Amino acid sequence: METKKQFKWFTIFEYEKEQDYLRDMHRSGWKFVKVKGFGVYYFEKCTPQDVVYQLDYNKDGLAHKDEYLRMFDDCGWEYIQDYAGYSYFRKAVSKDGVAEEIFCDDESRFQMMQRVLKGRMLPLLVIFFATLLPQFLINLLSTHNYFIATFIGGILAMYIAIFAMCFAKYIQYKNNKK
Amino acid sequence: MDQHIKKVYVPMTETAFFILLCLRKPNHGYGIVQMVEKMTDGAIKLTPGTMYGSLSKMEKDNVIRFVREEDKRKIYQITDLGLEVLQIELKRIERLYKIAQEEM
Repeated sequence: METKKQFKWFTIFEYEKEQDYLRDMHRSGWKFVKVKGFGVYYFEKCTPQDVVYQLDYNKDGLAHKDEYLRMFDDCGWEYIQDYAGYSYFRKAVSKDGVAEEIFCDDESRFQMMQRVLKGRMLPLLVIFFATLLPQFLINLLSTHNYFIATFIGGILAMYIAIFAMCFAKYIQYKNNKK
Repeated sequence: MDQHIKKVYVPMTETAFFILLCLRKPNHGYGIVQMVEKMTDGAIKLTPGTMYGSLSKMEKDNVIRFVREEDKRKIYQITDLGLEVLQIELKRIERLYKIAQEEM
């Protein structure tokens, strides 16, 4: 069977973008097989079909996996894999054209986002304030190691950009909900 | 009733409302999905992500409780607190409905 690999990078709150990407791939005849390592997506050739992909982030679900997956299976969702705390599901769009989702109200969409925030953002914040920021300041102000300071500064800038993006998205979601 | 429960459940989401309504008798998540689809003639289709998240949250809030497991499905039932919250919500909806009828 013909297969292909693609490298894709999605930041913390881009799971909707990732879902769209997988759906587009399936629609163009590439069925998602797995994602591994640092964002390497594996596909195999298939008949083009409109299949909805959905990501959930639920630690409680992963801790009670049997019951968690049973619920999705009962509702007709195929489970694919877990990756970085996310669980991947898919379901073909029905004949009458209804594209189902795994969340049916804004409240639960928002809760999903809060779980992602807690699970993925907090560790980043800890790394930021506990190691990156102090290292940057030490190299810049105390040891005057500008080469390292520039390097860490670059990572810091990336971090801040991600934080800003997440924050904007979070606010957008919160306003949407109201 | 503490403030957190009041804030989250008065008023509550349609999902929470149907979960409480259906769990007056023990049932599992998918059972609730099917019941609601039937009760609303297919107008409301609850989904697994929402259901799983809501059930665990509502269990933590002690408005429903875990009864037992059957065939890998968790069976829940409403608690006294849950019944109380459901009554408050019903009264609220009734009041809204009455006001609307008088006004229209």
